[in-house]
Amino acid sequence: MNENISREKAPGGAPATIKKKYRPQQQKSAYLFILPSMLILTVFVFVPLFASFIISLLDMNIFMQDVSFAGFKNFARVFQDDRVRGATWNTFYFAILEVPLQIGIALLLSIYVAKNNRYTRALRSIYYLPFVCSMTAVGIVWSMLLDPNLGILPYLLRCIGIESISFLKDPDLAMPTVIVVSAWKGFGYTLTLITAAVLNVPSSLYEAAEMDGANTWQKFTHITIPGIWPTVSFCIVTTTISALQMFDQAYVMTQGGPLNRTETLVQYIYDRGFQTAPYDLGYASAISVYLFAIIAIITFVLRKFILERGE
Amino acid sequence: MKAKKVMAEVLAVMLAAVSVTGCGSSGQNETKGADTTAETEAAEAETKEDTDTAAAESGESEPVTLQFWNVFTGSDGDILRAIVDNYNETNTDNITIEMDIMPNDTLQQKLPAAIATQTAPDLVLFGVENLAPYVSNDSLEDISDFWDVTGVDKDNFLENVVELSYVDGKLYGTPMQYNVSYLYWNKDLFEAAGLDPETPPATMDELAEYAQKLTDPSKNQFGLAMPSNTTYMQFLWANGGDADDPETNKNLLDSEENLQTLTWMQDLAVNKKVTPANVTGSDADAMLQAGQVAMYMSGPWQINGLREQGINFGIAPCVAGSAGAFSPAGGCSYVIPKGTDAAKKQAAYKFMKYWLTDEILKEWSQKNGFPVWSRTLAEDPEIQNDEVLNSISKATEIGRAYNLGYSLASQIDNDVMIPMFENVLTGAKTPEEALKDASAAMDTVLAQ
Repeated sequence: MNENISREKAPGGAPATIKKKYRPQQQKSAYLFILPSMLILTVFVFVPLFASFIISLLDMNIFMQDVSFAGFKNFARVFQDDRVRGATWNTFYFAILEVPLQIGIALLLSIYVAKNNRYTRALRSIYYLPFVCSMTAVGIVWSMLLDPNLGILPYLLRCIGIESISFLKDPDLAMPTVIVVSAWKGFGYTLTLITAAVLNVPSSLYEAAEMDGANTWQKFTHITIPGIWPTVSFCIVTTTISALQMFDQAYVMTQGGPLNRTETLVQYIYDRGFQTAPYDLGYASAISVYLFAIIAIITFVLRKFILERGE
Repeated sequence: MKAKKVMAEVLAVMLAAVSVTGCGSSGQNETKGADTTAETEAAEAETKEDTDTAAAESGESEPVTLQFWNVFTGSDGDILRAIVDNYNETNTDNITIEMDIMPNDTLQQKLPAAIATQTAPDLVLFGVENLAPYVSNDSLEDISDFWDVTGVDKDNFLENVVELSYVDGKLYGTPMQYNVSYLYWNKDLFEAAGLDPETPPATMDELAEYAQKLTDPSKNQFGLAMPSNTTYMQFLWANGGDADDPETNKNLLDSEENLQTLTWMQDLAVNKKVTPANVTGSDADAMLQAGQVAMYMSGPWQINGLREQGINFGIAPCVAGSAGAFSPAGGCSYVIPKGTDAAKKQAAYKFMKYWLTDEILKEWSQKNGFPVWSRTLAEDPEIQNDEVLNSISKATEIGRAYNLGYSLASQIDNDVMIPMFENVLTGAKTPEEALKDASAAMDTVLAQ
C-alpha cells in the first residue's frame, strides 16, 4: 500500500495542473455513481445512527409520549446494570471463541480445497451452503437436532451410553453450542475469501521454496500465511465486528437463556426497546451507543495491530 | 493529499446533507404513512361504494372488515377460529373478521409499534396482564360505554372476572375467558407408583412426598415438572409470602416465608431431581402429554392436549401451605387499540357482545375446559353435569390476582421473578442469594 501511494505522489507538481482541470467533472459523475448507495446508507445507517445518539439522551418509549430530556441518566444506568455487564461478557465470550474458530476452520480447510479441480470446487460450494441459509432456519434446525427429547444428536449419544445432554438448555453448554453453530454457518464465507487469496499466491514462490527443500508446513507458514495475510486480517476484522453484533443465533436458539447466559448486548438492546414493557427506547439507545463505542475501539485496535502489521 | 482534502470536504457536505435529509426523510416517512393510509382508505371507500350499491339493493348494512390479532396458538385457537368463521358467515351486520394468530412474544413486539404507527389491528385478544401497561401508554380505546351501548347485562358475570378488564375504573376490554392454574396429575403413573390414583396431593408436603415417589430416572419419568421460565406465585402465597404490593409499590420479596419456599423448591429440583432440568413450559407440556411427567401445575389449556393424547388425568386445586392454598388467576380480554375508527369500534362491540352470549361461552368452556363465569350459564344442566368443569370449579375458587392491572407487571416478571425462580430451580444461586438479588432487582423496577 505505502509503495503505491508514494508512486502516485512521485510525479509531483506537473501532472497536478492537468488533474485540476479534469478532476471536477470526473468527480461529478463519480458522485452520481455513489448517490444510490449513499441514499440507502443515509436512510438505514446515518439517520438511525444519529437518531440513536439523540434518543439515548431522552426519556422516551416506543409510543413516543411524554418525551423528555434525560441527560446522561440512561448512560449512568448502563454502567450500573448487571445484565449489561453479563451481556458484555457474553458478547466477548462469543467473539473471542467464535472468530478464531471460524477463521481457524477456514484456514485449515483452505489448505485442502485451494486447488482448482472439480472435487475441491464441489467441496467449496458445499461449505458455502450454510452461509446462504437464513440464520433463523439454521437456528431452528439445530435446535431440533439438539433437542434433548426429540433431537437426533442426544439420541445418538444415548445410544453410545452418554446420558441425555441438553446442549442449548444447560447454562454452561448453551454458549459453546451457539458458538459452534455460528462458526459452522459462517466459515464457508471466510473459506471462500481465503481460498481465493491462496490461489493468488504466485506458484513460483512455492517452486523456489521446494527447491530450497521446504516442507508443507514451512511453505504454509512462510509463503501462504504472509501471502494471504491481508485477506485474513480483513476476515478477522469483519468477523469480529459481526460477532460483536451477534443477535439472531441466540435469539432463535436460546432467547438469551438459560439464566441469560447467551444474552448478548444486541439482544438486551432489543429486549429493552421492543420486548419488555415499558419499551424504553432511551435506555435501549444508550446501550446501543455503549456497544457502538466498544466496536469502534476494538475495530481501531484491530486495524492498528493486525492490518498495519501485515503491511 | 489534495484528493484527501477534497474527499474530506465532500464528506462534510454529504454529512450536512445527511442531517438535512435526515429530518426530511422522517418527514417524508410521515407523509408516506399518511399517503398509504389515504390510499387504503380510498381503496376501502371504493370497495365500500361498490358494495354500497349492492347493499342498497339487498338492504344490508355497510360491510366492515375487522383485523383481529390474538395469541391462541394452541388447539384452543382452532376452536376460536371455528367460532369466528361461524360468526363471519352468520352475522347480519355485514362484519367480516380477519383473524391473525401469533405467539404472544410476537404480538407483544408488533403491537406497540403498530399502535404508534397507526397500523394496529381493530381488535386484539390478549392476556389481561397486558391491559395496564398498554393503558398507561394510552394505547387502548376506553370502552366504558360498552354495557350501555350493547345492552349486555354486566351483572350476569362474576365480578372478579369482569374486574380484570377495568383499569382505574374505566373499562378497556371485555372478558373472553378466565383461568387459574390447576394441578394436573397422571392417574396411571400414580397407580404404578403405588399411590391412590383418585387422591391428588393437597399440601406442599404431600406434593414433595408424591413427587419423589413418582420420580424414576431409569424410565426418564419425573414426579413434578417445574419449568424454569415461569413464576410460582402459588408456592410463595401458600407459605404466606408475596412478591410486591401493586397498591403501594412496596417490595414484599425479602421475607422468611419466601426464603423457606425457595429452599423447598431448590431441594425438590436440585437435590431430589423430581423435575426434568432446564425445561421450558412447552417442554413440560410435551412431557406431560407423553406421560413422562406425573404432576404439573398449569392452566386449562392443557386439557385438550391431554385428551388428545389419551392421558388418564385428573385436575385438582393447587396445593396448600401453612397459609392456605392459592392459585394465580388470569384471563384474556378483547381490547380495541387506540385510533380504531368509530364504525370499526361499533363492529368490534357487536362481536364482543356475540362472544358474551351463553351459547358461545358454553361452547368455549365445554370444548376447552375453561371455568364458567356467566351466572345464567352456570345454571345450565349440561354445564352442571360436565365432569371436567365440575372438577375445576373447586380449583377455580382459590384464584388470586397477581399484579393484574399493574403497569409494571411484565417487567417484574421478566426482570425479577422469572430470573429468581430460574436461579433457584437450576441451582445457579442459593435461595438466599437468589432472594437477595431478586429483592434488589425489584427495588430497581419499583423505583421507576
